[in-house]
Amino acid sequence: MSGTWVTIQLALISLAISLMFGLLGAWAKLSKNYLAQKTAAGYTTIVRGVPDLVLILLVFYGGQELFNSLGTATGLWDYVEISQFAAGAGTIGIVFGGYMTETFRGAIIAIPRGQIEAGVACGMDRLTIFRRVIWPQMVRYALPGFSNNWLVQIKSTALVSVIGLQDVVYNGFVAGKSTRQLFTFMFAVLIIYLLLTAVSDLVLRWLDRKYSKGIVRSDNG
Amino acid sequence: MSESGSQSGGEHAALEVVDLHKSFGDVEVIRGVSLSAHKGDVISILGASGSGKSTFLRCINLLEIPTAGDVYVAGEKIRMKSGKSGAYLPEDIHQVERLRARLGMVFQGFNLWSHMTVIENVIEAPVHVLKIPKAQAIEEAEALLHKVGIYDRKDYYPAQLSGGQQQRVAIARGLAMNPAVMLFDEPTSALDPELVGEVLKVMRDLAEEGRTMLVVTHEMSFARDVSSSVVFLHEGMIEEQGEPQQMFNNPNSDRFRQFLSRTMQ
Repeated sequence: MSGTWVTIQLALISLAISLMFGLLGAWAKLSKNYLAQKTAAGYTTIVRGVPDLVLILLVFYGGQELFNSLGTATGLWDYVEISQFAAGAGTIGIVFGGYMTETFRGAIIAIPRGQIEAGVACGMDRLTIFRRVIWPQMVRYALPGFSNNWLVQIKSTALVSVIGLQDVVYNGFVAGKSTRQLFTFMFAVLIIYLLLTAVSDLVLRWLDRKYSKGIVRSDNG
Repeated sequence: MSESGSQSGGEHAALEVVDLHKSFGDVEVIRGVSLSAHKGDVISILGASGSGKSTFLRCINLLEIPTAGDVYVAGEKIRMKSGKSGAYLPEDIHQVERLRARLGMVFQGFNLWSHMTVIENVIEAPVHVLKIPKAQAIEEAEALLHKVGIYDRKDYYPAQLSGGQQQRVAIARGLAMNPAVMLFDEPTSALDPELVGEVLKVMRDLAEEGRTMLVVTHEMSFARDVSSSVVFLHEGMIEEQGEPQQMFNNPNSDRFRQFLSRTMQ
Protein backbone atom coordinates (compact mmCIF):
# COMPACT_ATOMS: atom_id res chain seq x y z
CA MET A 1 0.00 0.00 0.00
CA SER A 2 1.38 3.39 -0.90
CA GLY A 3 2.68 5.40 2.02
CA THR A 4 3.86 2.34 3.94
CA TRP A 5 7.38 2.89 2.75
CA VAL A 6 7.18 6.55 3.84
CA THR A 7 6.02 5.44 7.29
CA ILE A 8 8.85 2.93 7.57
CA GLN A 9 11.44 5.50 6.50
CA LEU A 10 9.96 8.03 8.88
CA ALA A 11 10.10 5.56 11.75
CA LEU A 12 13.67 4.46 11.06
CA ILE A 13 15.09 7.92 10.50
CA SER A 14 13.35 9.34 13.56
CA LEU A 15 14.66 6.31 15.47
CA ALA A 16 18.23 7.15 14.47
CA ILE A 17 17.69 10.75 15.56
CA SER A 18 16.14 9.72 18.86
CA LEU A 19 18.97 7.29 19.60
CA MET A 20 21.48 10.03 18.98
CA PHE A 21 19.65 12.52 21.17
CA GLY A 22 19.02 9.83 23.79
CA LEU A 23 22.69 8.89 24.08
CA LEU A 24 23.80 12.52 24.09
CA GLY A 25 21.12 13.40 26.64
CA ALA A 26 22.01 10.50 28.93
CA TRP A 27 25.68 11.40 28.71
CA ALA A 28 24.90 15.04 29.49
CA LYS A 29 22.65 14.18 32.43
CA LEU A 30 25.31 11.95 33.95
CA SER A 31 28.22 14.28 33.24
CA LYS A 32 29.77 16.46 35.88
CA ASN A 33 29.43 19.47 33.60
CA TYR A 34 26.82 21.85 35.04
CA LEU A 35 25.83 23.38 31.70
CA ALA A 36 25.41 19.96 30.03
CA GLN A 37 23.28 18.74 32.94
CA LYS A 38 20.98 21.73 32.86
CA THR A 39 20.64 21.73 29.09
CA ALA A 40 19.66 18.06 29.11
CA ALA A 41 17.23 18.61 31.98
CA GLY A 42 15.59 21.47 30.10
CA TYR A 43 15.41 19.37 26.93
CA THR A 44 13.70 16.37 28.52
CA THR A 45 11.32 18.58 30.50
CA ILE A 46 10.14 20.43 27.40
CA VAL A 47 9.88 17.59 24.89
CA ARG A 48 8.22 15.23 27.32
CA GLY A 49 5.87 17.91 28.61
CA VAL A 50 4.33 19.03 25.33
CA PRO A 51 2.06 16.98 23.02
CA ASP A 52 3.91 15.64 19.96
CA LEU A 53 1.23 17.07 17.71
CA VAL A 54 1.78 20.59 19.03
CA LEU A 55 5.51 20.30 18.44
CA ILE A 56 5.10 18.95 14.92
CA LEU A 57 2.78 21.83 13.95
CA LEU A 58 5.07 24.31 15.67
CA VAL A 59 8.19 23.06 13.92
CA PHE A 60 6.62 22.70 10.50
CA TYR A 61 4.91 26.09 10.41
CA GLY A 62 6.69 28.15 13.05
CA GLY A 63 10.11 26.59 12.58
CA GLN A 64 10.20 27.34 8.90
CA GLU A 65 9.29 30.96 9.51
CA LEU A 66 11.87 31.30 12.24
CA PHE A 67 14.57 29.64 10.19
CA ASN A 68 13.93 31.89 7.20
CA SER A 69 13.75 35.14 9.13
CA LEU A 70 17.03 34.12 10.69
CA GLY A 71 18.43 33.60 7.19
CA THR A 72 17.16 36.98 6.01
CA ALA A 73 18.47 38.74 9.09
CA THR A 74 21.94 37.29 8.84
CA GLY A 75 22.05 37.07 5.07
CA LEU A 76 23.55 33.62 5.36
CA TRP A 77 20.96 31.70 3.43
CA ASP A 78 18.06 32.33 1.08
CA TYR A 79 14.56 31.01 1.50
CA VAL A 80 14.62 27.38 2.55
CA GLU A 81 11.65 25.13 2.62
CA ILE A 82 11.60 22.56 5.38
CA SER A 83 10.04 19.47 3.89
CA GLN A 84 7.19 17.74 5.63
CA PHE A 85 9.33 14.67 5.94
CA ALA A 86 12.23 16.50 7.57
CA ALA A 87 9.95 18.34 9.97
CA GLY A 88 8.13 15.14 10.90
CA ALA A 89 11.15 12.88 11.28
CA GLY A 90 13.12 15.60 13.06
CA THR A 91 10.40 16.44 15.53
CA ILE A 92 9.49 12.85 16.35
CA GLY A 93 13.18 12.00 16.67
CA ILE A 94 13.81 14.86 19.04
CA VAL A 95 10.70 14.16 21.12
CA PHE A 96 11.51 10.48 21.54
CA GLY A 97 15.13 11.39 22.18
CA GLY A 98 13.77 12.82 25.43
CA TYR A 99 12.28 9.48 26.40
CA MET A 100 15.38 7.62 25.24
CA THR A 101 17.50 9.93 27.40
CA GLU A 102 15.71 8.74 30.50
CA THR A 103 15.80 5.10 29.40
CA PHE A 104 19.54 5.18 28.73
CA ARG A 105 20.28 7.16 31.87
CA GLY A 106 18.50 4.59 33.98
CA ALA A 107 20.28 1.76 32.17
CA ILE A 108 23.72 3.25 32.76
CA ILE A 109 22.96 3.83 36.43
CA ALA A 110 21.90 0.18 36.74
CA ILE A 111 25.39 -1.06 35.85
CA PRO A 112 27.20 -1.90 39.11
CA ARG A 113 29.74 0.83 39.75
CA GLY A 114 32.36 -1.74 40.74
CA GLN A 115 32.43 -3.22 37.25
CA ILE A 116 33.39 0.14 35.82
CA GLU A 117 35.97 0.54 38.56
CA ALA A 118 37.41 -2.86 37.68
CA GLY A 119 37.89 -1.58 34.13
CA VAL A 120 39.60 1.55 35.38
CA ALA A 121 41.84 -0.47 37.68
CA CYS A 122 43.22 -2.63 34.90
CA GLY A 123 44.18 0.38 32.84
CA MET A 124 41.29 0.70 30.37
CA ASP A 125 40.77 4.12 28.83
CA ARG A 126 37.32 5.71 28.86
CA LEU A 127 36.42 4.59 25.36
CA THR A 128 37.36 0.97 26.07
CA ILE A 129 35.32 1.00 29.28
CA PHE A 130 32.33 2.38 27.39
CA ARG A 131 32.68 -0.08 24.53
CA ARG A 132 33.48 -3.22 26.50
CA VAL A 133 31.82 -2.76 29.90
CA ILE A 134 29.11 -0.08 29.74
CA TRP A 135 27.60 -0.50 26.26
CA PRO A 136 26.79 -4.25 26.32
CA GLN A 137 25.19 -3.98 29.75
CA MET A 138 23.49 -0.68 29.03
CA VAL A 139 21.77 -2.21 26.01
CA ARG A 140 20.48 -5.06 28.12
CA TYR A 141 19.10 -2.78 30.85
CA ALA A 142 17.70 -0.32 28.31
CA LEU A 143 15.91 -2.84 26.10
CA PRO A 144 12.58 -3.09 27.96
CA GLY A 145 12.21 0.70 28.14
CA PHE A 146 13.53 1.09 24.63
CA SER A 147 11.02 -1.43 23.27
CA ASN A 148 8.20 0.56 24.80
CA ASN A 149 9.50 3.84 23.39
CA TRP A 150 9.98 2.35 19.96
CA LEU A 151 6.46 0.95 19.67
CA VAL A 152 4.98 4.30 20.69
CA GLN A 153 7.37 6.02 18.28
CA ILE A 154 6.19 3.93 15.30
CA LYS A 155 2.64 4.85 16.10
CA SER A 156 3.52 8.51 16.55
CA THR A 157 4.61 8.71 12.94
CA ALA A 158 0.87 8.73 12.10
CA LEU A 159 0.79 12.31 13.38
CA VAL A 160 2.70 13.59 10.35
CA SER A 161 -0.40 13.16 8.22
CA VAL A 162 -1.66 16.44 9.74
CA ILE A 163 1.12 18.37 8.01
CA GLY A 164 0.24 16.68 4.73
CA LEU A 165 2.98 14.10 4.51
CA GLN A 166 1.68 11.21 2.49
CA ASP A 167 2.31 8.40 4.90
CA VAL A 168 0.21 5.29 5.21
CA VAL A 169 -2.45 7.00 7.32
CA TYR A 170 -2.80 10.00 5.00
CA ASN A 171 -3.04 7.83 1.92
CA GLY A 172 -5.40 5.38 3.54
CA PHE A 173 -7.66 8.16 4.70
CA VAL A 174 -7.72 9.93 1.32
CA ALA A 175 -8.30 6.69 -0.56
CA GLY A 176 -10.98 5.64 1.90
CA LYS A 177 -12.88 8.90 1.60
CA SER A 178 -12.74 9.07 -2.19
CA THR A 179 -13.88 5.48 -2.61
CA ARG A 180 -16.34 5.70 0.30
CA GLN A 181 -14.72 2.64 1.78
CA LEU A 182 -13.17 4.26 4.80
CA PHE A 183 -13.50 1.20 6.99
CA THR A 184 -11.74 -1.09 4.56
CA PHE A 185 -8.84 1.29 4.03
CA MET A 186 -8.37 2.18 7.66
CA PHE A 187 -8.54 -1.49 8.55
CA ALA A 188 -5.73 -2.13 6.08
CA VAL A 189 -3.75 0.66 7.75
CA LEU A 190 -4.33 -1.00 11.09
CA ILE A 191 -2.98 -4.29 9.77
CA ILE A 192 0.09 -2.55 8.35
CA TYR A 193 0.90 -0.98 11.73
CA LEU A 194 0.41 -4.32 13.43
CA LEU A 195 2.81 -5.94 10.97
CA LEU A 196 5.41 -3.25 11.60
CA THR A 197 5.17 -3.64 15.37
CA ALA A 198 5.19 -7.43 15.11
CA VAL A 199 8.41 -7.37 13.10
CA SER A 200 9.88 -4.94 15.62
CA ASP A 201 8.92 -7.29 18.40
CA LEU A 202 10.81 -10.15 16.74
CA VAL A 203 13.93 -8.02 16.33
CA LEU A 204 13.71 -6.80 19.92
CA ARG A 205 13.38 -10.34 21.23
CA TRP A 206 16.44 -11.35 19.27
CA LEU A 207 18.35 -8.38 20.73
CA ASP A 208 17.18 -9.29 24.21
CA ARG A 209 18.52 -12.83 23.83
CA LYS A 210 21.78 -11.56 22.41
CA TYR A 211 22.39 -9.10 25.24
CA SER A 212 21.12 -11.23 28.11
CA LYS A 213 24.31 -13.22 28.36
CA GLY A 214 25.34 -13.85 31.92
CA ILE A 215 21.93 -13.33 33.45
CA VAL A 216 20.73 -16.24 35.47
CA ARG A 217 16.97 -16.45 35.30
CA SER A 218 14.95 -18.27 37.90
CA ASP A 219 13.34 -20.41 35.21
CA ASN A 220 16.77 -21.36 33.85
CA GLY A 221 15.75 -19.89 30.49
CA MET B 1 60.40 6.30 31.72
CA SER B 2 60.53 9.64 33.45
CA GLU B 3 62.20 10.01 36.83
CA SER B 4 63.62 6.57 36.54
CA GLY B 5 67.26 6.62 35.70
CA SER B 6 68.20 3.01 35.98
CA GLN B 7 67.31 0.23 33.58
CA SER B 8 68.43 -2.53 35.86
CA GLY B 9 64.91 -3.15 37.11
CA GLY B 10 65.79 -4.95 40.28
CA GLU B 11 67.05 -1.79 41.86
CA HIS B 12 63.72 -0.10 42.30
CA ALA B 13 61.06 -0.99 44.75
CA ALA B 14 58.11 -2.62 42.99
CA LEU B 15 55.97 0.00 44.62
CA GLU B 16 56.82 3.06 46.62
CA VAL B 17 54.40 5.48 48.24
CA VAL B 18 55.74 8.70 49.68
CA ASP B 19 53.87 10.85 52.17
CA LEU B 20 50.41 10.20 50.80
CA HIS B 21 47.52 12.37 51.92
CA LYS B 22 43.84 12.11 51.07
CA SER B 23 40.98 14.32 52.17
CA PHE B 24 37.28 14.02 51.49
CA GLY B 25 36.08 17.59 51.85
CA ASP B 26 37.36 18.81 55.20
CA VAL B 27 38.05 15.33 56.53
CA GLU B 28 41.59 14.09 56.08
CA VAL B 29 41.43 10.30 56.00
CA ILE B 30 45.04 9.59 55.02
CA ARG B 31 47.52 11.76 56.83
CA GLY B 32 50.93 11.16 55.41
CA VAL B 33 51.52 7.45 54.78
CA SER B 34 54.74 6.17 53.21
CA LEU B 35 55.41 2.59 52.30
CA SER B 36 57.58 0.61 49.97
CA ALA B 37 57.19 -2.90 48.67
CA HIS B 38 60.13 -4.74 47.17
CA LYS B 39 59.82 -7.66 44.85
CA GLY B 40 58.39 -10.63 46.70
CA ASP B 41 57.13 -8.62 49.66
CA VAL B 42 53.73 -9.47 51.04
CA ILE B 43 52.53 -6.54 53.08
CA SER B 44 49.35 -6.82 55.13
CA ILE B 45 47.63 -3.57 55.96
CA LEU B 46 45.56 -3.82 59.12
CA GLY B 47 43.39 -1.31 60.90
CA ALA B 48 39.97 -0.77 62.36
CA SER B 49 37.20 0.21 59.98
CA GLY B 50 37.56 3.90 59.24
CA SER B 51 41.32 3.80 59.66
CA GLY B 52 41.73 4.62 55.98
CA LYS B 53 43.26 1.34 54.83
CA SER B 54 41.00 0.80 51.83
CA THR B 55 41.25 4.43 50.82
CA PHE B 56 45.02 4.16 51.00
CA LEU B 57 44.99 1.16 48.66
CA ARG B 58 42.64 2.91 46.24
CA CYS B 59 44.92 5.94 46.14
CA ILE B 60 47.80 3.80 44.91
CA ASN B 61 46.19 3.13 41.52
CA LEU B 62 44.37 6.45 41.59
CA LEU B 63 40.87 5.05 41.93
CA GLU B 64 40.86 7.83 44.46
CA ILE B 65 42.98 10.84 43.61
CA PRO B 66 45.27 11.60 46.55
CA THR B 67 45.42 15.13 47.89
CA ALA B 68 49.21 15.06 48.13
CA GLY B 69 52.06 12.60 47.93
CA ASP B 70 53.82 10.49 45.34
CA VAL B 71 53.41 6.97 44.03
CA TYR B 72 56.18 5.13 42.16
CA VAL B 73 55.38 1.94 40.27
CA ALA B 74 58.51 -0.08 39.48
CA GLY B 75 60.54 3.10 39.82
CA GLU B 76 58.30 5.23 37.61
CA LYS B 77 56.65 8.16 39.31
CA ILE B 78 53.00 8.88 38.58
CA ARG B 79 53.26 12.49 37.45
CA MET B 80 50.84 14.82 39.21
CA LYS B 81 50.03 18.48 38.70
CA SER B 82 48.03 21.22 40.35
CA GLY B 83 44.84 21.80 38.41
CA LYS B 84 42.37 24.64 38.63
CA SER B 85 41.70 25.85 42.17
CA GLY B 86 44.74 23.94 43.35
CA ALA B 87 43.31 20.42 42.99
CA TYR B 88 45.93 17.67 42.81
CA LEU B 89 45.48 15.84 39.50
CA PRO B 90 47.32 13.35 37.32
CA GLU B 91 49.30 15.13 34.64
CA ASP B 92 48.96 12.48 31.97
CA ILE B 93 46.01 10.11 32.04
CA HIS B 94 47.73 7.78 29.57
CA GLN B 95 50.62 7.33 31.95
CA VAL B 96 48.16 6.59 34.74
CA GLU B 97 46.39 4.00 32.58
CA ARG B 98 49.70 2.39 31.67
CA LEU B 99 50.77 2.15 35.31
CA ARG B 100 47.35 0.95 36.46
CA ALA B 101 47.85 -1.95 34.10
CA ARG B 102 50.97 -2.80 36.14
CA LEU B 103 48.92 -3.03 39.35
CA GLY B 104 46.47 -5.90 39.60
CA MET B 105 43.52 -5.14 41.84
CA VAL B 106 41.18 -7.51 43.63
CA PHE B 107 38.08 -5.95 45.14
CA GLN B 108 35.97 -6.84 48.13
CA GLY B 109 32.93 -7.23 45.87
CA PHE B 110 34.77 -9.20 43.12
CA ASN B 111 33.51 -6.82 40.40
CA LEU B 112 33.66 -9.38 37.62
CA TRP B 113 32.05 -8.21 34.39
CA SER B 114 28.71 -9.96 34.52
CA HIS B 115 28.15 -10.14 30.75
CA MET B 116 31.37 -12.08 30.19
CA THR B 117 32.24 -15.67 31.00
CA VAL B 118 35.07 -16.55 33.36
CA ILE B 119 37.61 -16.91 30.57
CA GLU B 120 36.36 -13.74 28.86
CA ASN B 121 36.81 -11.85 32.11
CA VAL B 122 40.39 -13.01 32.39
CA ILE B 123 41.45 -12.27 28.79
CA GLU B 124 39.57 -8.96 28.54
CA ALA B 125 42.30 -6.61 29.76
CA PRO B 126 45.25 -8.50 28.25
CA VAL B 127 43.54 -8.35 24.84
CA HIS B 128 42.05 -4.86 25.00
CA VAL B 129 44.61 -3.05 27.13
CA LEU B 130 47.89 -4.86 26.58
CA LYS B 131 46.90 -5.82 23.00
CA ILE B 132 48.09 -9.38 23.40
CA PRO B 133 46.91 -11.73 20.61
CA LYS B 134 43.72 -13.45 21.69
CA ALA B 135 45.00 -17.00 21.27
CA GLN B 136 47.99 -16.28 23.47
CA ALA B 137 45.80 -14.55 26.07
CA ILE B 138 43.48 -17.56 26.19
CA GLU B 139 46.40 -19.91 26.67
CA GLU B 140 47.76 -17.83 29.54
CA ALA B 141 44.31 -17.38 31.05
CA GLU B 142 43.70 -21.11 31.06
CA ALA B 143 46.95 -21.68 32.92
CA LEU B 144 45.93 -19.07 35.50
CA LEU B 145 42.49 -20.61 35.89
CA HIS B 146 44.16 -23.94 36.55
CA LYS B 147 46.31 -22.25 39.14
CA VAL B 148 43.36 -20.76 41.03
CA GLY B 149 41.51 -24.05 40.66
CA ILE B 150 38.57 -22.93 38.57
CA TYR B 151 39.45 -24.10 35.09
CA ASP B 152 36.42 -26.40 34.96
CA ARG B 153 34.16 -23.36 35.23
CA LYS B 154 35.84 -21.32 32.52
CA ASP B 155 32.70 -20.98 30.39
CA TYR B 156 30.39 -20.09 33.28
CA TYR B 157 29.10 -16.60 33.90
CA PRO B 158 29.88 -14.89 37.21
CA ALA B 159 26.26 -15.17 38.36
CA GLN B 160 26.57 -18.96 38.18
CA LEU B 161 29.51 -19.05 40.61
CA SER B 162 29.84 -18.83 44.38
CA GLY B 163 31.53 -15.83 45.96
CA GLY B 164 34.71 -17.76 46.60
CA GLN B 165 34.83 -18.92 42.99
CA GLN B 166 34.20 -15.40 41.71
CA GLN B 167 36.98 -14.02 43.86
CA ARG B 168 39.39 -16.63 42.56
CA VAL B 169 38.46 -15.61 39.01
CA ALA B 170 39.06 -11.98 39.99
CA ILE B 171 42.52 -12.95 41.24
CA ALA B 172 43.25 -14.71 37.94
CA ARG B 173 42.01 -11.61 36.12
CA GLY B 174 44.50 -9.49 38.07
CA LEU B 175 47.35 -11.93 37.48
CA ALA B 176 46.64 -12.02 33.75
CA MET B 177 48.12 -8.54 33.45
CA ASN B 178 51.38 -9.87 34.88
CA PRO B 179 51.41 -6.98 37.34
CA ALA B 180 54.35 -5.64 39.31
CA VAL B 181 52.18 -5.63 42.42
CA MET B 182 48.84 -7.19 43.29
CA LEU B 183 46.56 -5.03 45.43
CA PHE B 184 43.93 -6.83 47.49
CA ASP B 185 41.16 -4.74 49.02
CA GLU B 186 39.57 -6.88 51.74
CA PRO B 187 39.30 -9.85 49.37
CA THR B 188 37.52 -12.13 51.83
CA SER B 189 35.26 -9.67 53.65
CA ALA B 190 32.23 -10.25 51.43
CA LEU B 191 32.48 -14.04 51.54
CA ASP B 192 30.53 -16.57 53.54
CA PRO B 193 32.83 -17.96 56.24
CA GLU B 194 33.11 -21.37 54.62
CA LEU B 195 34.35 -19.81 51.37
CA VAL B 196 37.12 -17.69 52.90
CA GLY B 197 39.58 -20.57 53.04
CA GLU B 198 39.71 -21.30 49.31
CA VAL B 199 40.53 -17.67 48.53
CA LEU B 200 43.15 -17.42 51.27
CA LYS B 201 44.76 -20.60 49.99
CA VAL B 202 45.18 -19.08 46.53
CA MET B 203 46.67 -15.93 48.06
CA ARG B 204 49.01 -18.03 50.17
CA ASP B 205 50.21 -19.85 47.03
CA LEU B 206 50.86 -16.54 45.33
CA ALA B 207 52.88 -15.32 48.29
CA GLU B 208 54.94 -18.48 48.25
CA GLU B 209 55.79 -18.13 44.58
CA GLY B 210 57.16 -14.66 45.25
CA ARG B 211 54.38 -12.34 44.08
CA THR B 212 54.56 -8.82 45.41
CA MET B 213 51.31 -8.20 47.25
CA LEU B 214 49.63 -5.48 49.26
CA VAL B 215 46.73 -6.90 51.20
CA VAL B 216 44.17 -4.89 53.11
CA THR B 217 42.57 -7.50 55.32
CA HIS B 218 40.85 -8.51 58.50
CA GLU B 219 42.29 -12.00 58.31
CA MET B 220 44.71 -11.99 61.22
CA SER B 221 46.05 -15.45 60.57
CA PHE B 222 46.94 -14.49 56.99
CA ALA B 223 48.68 -11.33 58.21
CA ARG B 224 50.60 -13.24 60.84
CA ASP B 225 51.53 -16.39 58.93
CA VAL B 226 51.84 -15.32 55.31
CA SER B 227 52.93 -11.69 55.11
CA SER B 228 56.52 -10.55 55.24
CA SER B 229 55.56 -7.34 56.97
CA VAL B 230 52.54 -5.80 58.60
CA VAL B 231 51.39 -2.20 58.62
CA PHE B 232 48.86 -1.06 61.19
CA LEU B 233 46.95 2.07 60.26
CA HIS B 234 45.15 4.20 62.79
CA GLU B 235 43.24 7.34 61.83
CA GLY B 236 45.06 7.68 58.56
CA MET B 237 48.58 7.25 59.89
CA ILE B 238 50.93 4.32 60.36
CA GLU B 239 50.76 3.49 64.02
CA GLU B 240 53.08 0.53 63.89
CA GLN B 241 54.83 -1.57 61.27
CA GLY B 242 57.26 -4.43 61.27
CA GLU B 243 57.68 -8.15 60.92
CA PRO B 244 54.55 -10.10 61.74
CA GLN B 245 56.09 -12.38 64.40
CA GLN B 246 57.48 -9.46 66.30
CA MET B 247 54.34 -7.35 65.97
CA PHE B 248 51.91 -10.07 66.93
CA ASN B 249 53.96 -11.43 69.81
CA ASN B 250 55.29 -8.20 71.09
CA PRO B 251 53.37 -5.16 69.87
CA ASN B 252 54.90 -1.80 70.63
CA SER B 253 51.87 0.44 70.45
CA ASP B 254 48.94 0.26 72.81
CA ARG B 255 46.54 0.79 69.96
CA PHE B 256 47.78 -2.22 68.05
CA ARG B 257 47.69 -4.28 71.24
CA GLN B 258 44.08 -3.24 71.80
CA PHE B 259 43.25 -3.96 68.14
CA LEU B 260 44.75 -7.44 68.49
CA SER B 261 42.91 -8.24 71.66
CA ARG B 262 39.63 -7.17 70.04
CA THR B 263 40.13 -9.17 66.85
CA MET B 264 42.02 -12.27 67.99
CA GLN B 265 39.54 -13.80 70.40
